[in-house]
Amino acid sequence: MTNPDPHPAAAISARNLTLTLGSSSAPVEILKGIDLDIAHGEVVALLGPSGSGKSSLMAVLSGLERASGGELNVAGQDFAKLDEDGLAAARRGRIGIVLQAFHLLPTMTAAENVATPMELAGSGDAAPRARAELEAVGLGHRIGHYPTQLSGGEQQRVAIARAIAPRPQLIFADEPTGNLDVATGEEIVELLFARRAETGATLLIITHDASLAEKCDRVLTMADGVIVSDTRPALAAAKEAAE
Amino acid sequence: MSADTTATPAAGLGWGDAWLIARRDLNARFKGLRLLLICIFLGTAALAAIGTLTASIERELQSSGQELLGGDLEVEVWQRDLSEEELVSLGEYGELSGGYRLQAMASTDDAAAPVELKAVDARWPLFGAFTLADGREPGAPSANDAYLAQGAIDRLDIEVGEEFRVGTLTLRAAGIIENEPDRLSEGFQLGPTVLVAKDVPGNAGLLQPGSLYQSKYRIAFENSSRNPETVEEELTEAYPNAGFDFRTRDRASPGADRFVRQMSDFLTLVGLAALVIAGIGIAGGVSSYLDQRRASIATLKVLGASSRDIVRIYAIQIAVAAIAGSVLGLTAGVLVTPFLGMALEGLLPVESGFVIEPAPLMLAGAYGLLVAFAFAAAPLLRARSFPAMALMRSRIVPLSRDRRALIATGLGLAAICILALSTTDRIMLSASFLLGAGGALILLAALGLSLQWAARKLPRPSNPLLRSALSNIHRPGAPTSALVTALGFGLAAFVLLAAIQSAIDGNIQSRVPQEAPDYFVIDVPPEGEERFYELIRDPFPDAEIRSVPTMRGAILAFGPEDDMQVVAELDEIPDGAWALRGERGITYADTAPPGSRVVDGEWWSPFHDGEPLVSIDKEFADAAGLGVGDMLTIGILGSERQVRIANLREIDWESMGFNFTLVFSRNAIADAPHKLAATIDLPESVDPQQRGELLRAMVREYPSSSVVEVGEVLVQARTLLEQVGVATLAAAAVAVLAGLAVLMGAIAAARAARTYDTVVLRVLGASRRQILGLQLAEYGLIAGALALVALALGSTLGWVIITQLFEFDWLPDWGAVLAVLGLGLAMVLAFALGGSLPLLRAKPAQALREL
Repeated sequence: MTNPDPHPAAAISARNLTLTLGSSSAPVEILKGIDLDIAHGEVVALLGPSGSGKSSLMAVLSGLERASGGELNVAGQDFAKLDEDGLAAARRGRIGIVLQAFHLLPTMTAAENVATPMELAGSGDAAPRARAELEAVGLGHRIGHYPTQLSGGEQQRVAIARAIAPRPQLIFADEPTGNLDVATGEEIVELLFARRAETGATLLIITHDASLAEKCDRVLTMADGVIVSDTRPALAAAKEAAE
Repeated sequence: MSADTTATPAAGLGWGDAWLIARRDLNARFKGLRLLLICIFLGTAALAAIGTLTASIERELQSSGQELLGGDLEVEVWQRDLSEEELVSLGEYGELSGGYRLQAMASTDDAAAPVELKAVDARWPLFGAFTLADGREPGAPSANDAYLAQGAIDRLDIEVGEEFRVGTLTLRAAGIIENEPDRLSEGFQLGPTVLVAKDVPGNAGLLQPGSLYQSKYRIAFENSSRNPETVEEELTEAYPNAGFDFRTRDRASPGADRFVRQMSDFLTLVGLAALVIAGIGIAGGVSSYLDQRRASIATLKVLGASSRDIVRIYAIQIAVAAIAGSVLGLTAGVLVTPFLGMALEGLLPVESGFVIEPAPLMLAGAYGLLVAFAFAAAPLLRARSFPAMALMRSRIVPLSRDRRALIATGLGLAAICILALSTTDRIMLSASFLLGAGGALILLAALGLSLQWAARKLPRPSNPLLRSALSNIHRPGAPTSALVTALGFGLAAFVLLAAIQSAIDGNIQSRVPQEAPDYFVIDVPPEGEERFYELIRDPFPDAEIRSVPTMRGAILAFGPEDDMQVVAELDEIPDGAWALRGERGITYADTAPPGSRVVDGEWWSPFHDGEPLVSIDKEFADAAGLGVGDMLTIGILGSERQVRIANLREIDWESMGFNFTLVFSRNAIADAPHKLAATIDLPESVDPQQRGELLRAMVREYPSSSVVEVGEVLVQARTLLEQVGVATLAAAAVAVLAGLAVLMGAIAAARAARTYDTVVLRVLGASRRQILGLQLAEYGLIAGALALVALALGSTLGWVIITQLFEFDWLPDWGAVLAVLGLGLAMVLAFALGGSLPLLRAKPAQALREL
């Protein structure tokens, strides 16, 4: 593993990032040279139509997928130099991920699900921290329940608790409300933003919801594998002006 | 952008933490791992049972060899007693106990029974205890007392204390035999045993020159560490022409050592077959388990688990299942052994009750774990080396091959082969089987690929269900190859069982003749031949009688006249030249005997008085390298005679008449003391009472002759063969059980992959019948293509077992084999369809929720 830069200029820094999937005879270019900097503590919304490359960009930025080309520095680490296991190690404790389909481990209880990333990172107090985080997301009464015994909203709360509990520097959320009704979705977003605010982590959230994007510091819009716009919502701009 | 593969990942999970996460999955009562568990359980149980049984038989043969034989070494001769000089030589090695074995007739005024007379001296038994039904342990009988087997008591209709006659002597039934310690070494019985003192046969007039009797002497070595085979060699050297037959404590039971070898070979094959089949099941089980856990593996990777962590977590789970399966299998193996032993009781010395043999159990456990490792390594290593996102996509995109996984599997398989070959005495057999199994695996894999290729090339049907059935066979990630391999071996196990069972039945039918003479009569004096015919033909003019002169003789030397090979100097008897070993029945004749055909040379004229001639069996001649014009030196009752081979005969051994390997011209041996043997075929109208009267008349007229009731012998032979069949079936059933588990597992795994399609098709409006039809078409196509392959595989292994191991004829009932194969195919379809029913019964919305 490469040594983290002790004073990284940005939480995420990407230059000419590309991703090509498929076979060599029929390659599909998913990301076509992305340049991007995201500052520490920034909350960024990633918008764009289906197939524009949002999820793929998030997968590359979070180390779930290795880029095909370009430079990528995340949380002070040069992802381009890391192999699969190096990327896994880089995620451990530093990156939290919330997915649309929750992806809880079906054979584990809520508490065990939340404790797992901390256990993987070798944390000795994973169990009490998991319980505390579940209390914080309002699921103190569901600690011993299995995913199948929880509602969709509750499962996503567990997923948020699992992402936040290790106190990561970066949180990635891929349409976290996509599988939920509007009211529950709003609750989840409130919870995610609140927990992020407490930890000060950088958040990149993929969404189709313009009102949610309005709550972010910055909105990136993608189309056909490139970032076509990078704007500051009015609220964020106003806040910035006030400061 | 290239990865720095030298980059060191942060330290991953320790074994303790990996166990913590692994244990959570295992809490679900091995859900998903059950196929793996069952396959390891069946494979280990089969190996444990087979290993325990074989080791226990071999140990029993070794440790109880003295008791089974009744000594350390047995020396047998026919038609004579040992000379004083020979007895003194034998006595130098230790305590000597001797006696005679002969067929005789026991009779009362109202009944007569052919019996096996066993005459023993006062030192009998040298080893073990002789017990009577009333619990007494009287030792050898004395004076005119006799101990009778229950069968003789029944036939003579007498009770203990009453008298009966044998030859010219009256004996008293002093007890009913419960256990003769040396029973197994006496071999095939032609009548119930009557145990008498050593001098009884002589006093009864049964030991006349030419009578067919056997003298048996057993030695209990003074120095128990003395090697019986060395003594055998010393005695052979000292008395090269004595016609001694030896048996040592290591091969105490005639035929038992051969049967043990055959059974061990068979059990080795069944064990290996179970191992291969279980291995395929294990591979399927692990693959489908990891497939089910794909989402979990992906999630763990998303959460930061490294590939090493993934391997550790899932290796722990698989190891726990493998250990649990192995332990359960070993336990079941030990528990089932007494039942296998019961099936073999009487055929082989098997310790009754539970037997714990550490070595075979450890070996079975090692096999179970090695097989689990070998077949689990590939899917495990494949799963570890893929990016989290690829794992999440892999329902559509199959995981590609991993070179390291292939190496690990190869190493595991090599370890299994080395273990199999280094722990067997039958290296060639095991190696051939493993090679054959490897070939079969390649064949099935090729068949799977061909099926996929053919399905891809076929025009796409317009019917969406047929289209789906076809594409299920070839689409990316389709488990066709795994399914074909598992179904191929599973169905082959069915074929194997049916082929073996029906071939053994066929042998019982063909080997135990349907038409045989009613009686064999031996030791008829030649001078009484005419009276003998009258005795039978007077009451039964239609009776068919055939008599031949019989005596015992041994081949002492053979080969071209100027370069004869002395048998005693042979290091080893050539394969198939068994007639060179010891004494055997010989005869003389003026014409070629019925049931044989001269294939080389000429038969001599009826009044031949030139050079003494002999006719020999063609198979024996080929094995010994003999031809027409070569010479034999024959030892008959201590005298040597030279004869020239006049012709070779092909003998129909199946005909239940008189068949002799060596038939001499009259002038060659007729002057030696001999008796006649005869077969009697009575008309069917003769009732049991008339038969009883005839027997009593023969006993009166020829007290020193013996009668063998062929019907009784045939029943015994049939029972023996049926017992072999049951034992074989019991052992082969293990392979079938393993095959069944693999079938069910493979279908269950393939069905899991179909669940998604089934639900979507239901949502799109497909009826239950249409979906069942779709699955029927898919599995029917695969199973149909496999039927022929399974038939070929199962039959080939069956042929090897029947013809090469048991040396039986290949007589399977193809109707039965095809019926069993059909049953197997029906089961495949029933499993395939049966498992879908809950999904089909559910409403589409409910099924969608369960996805």
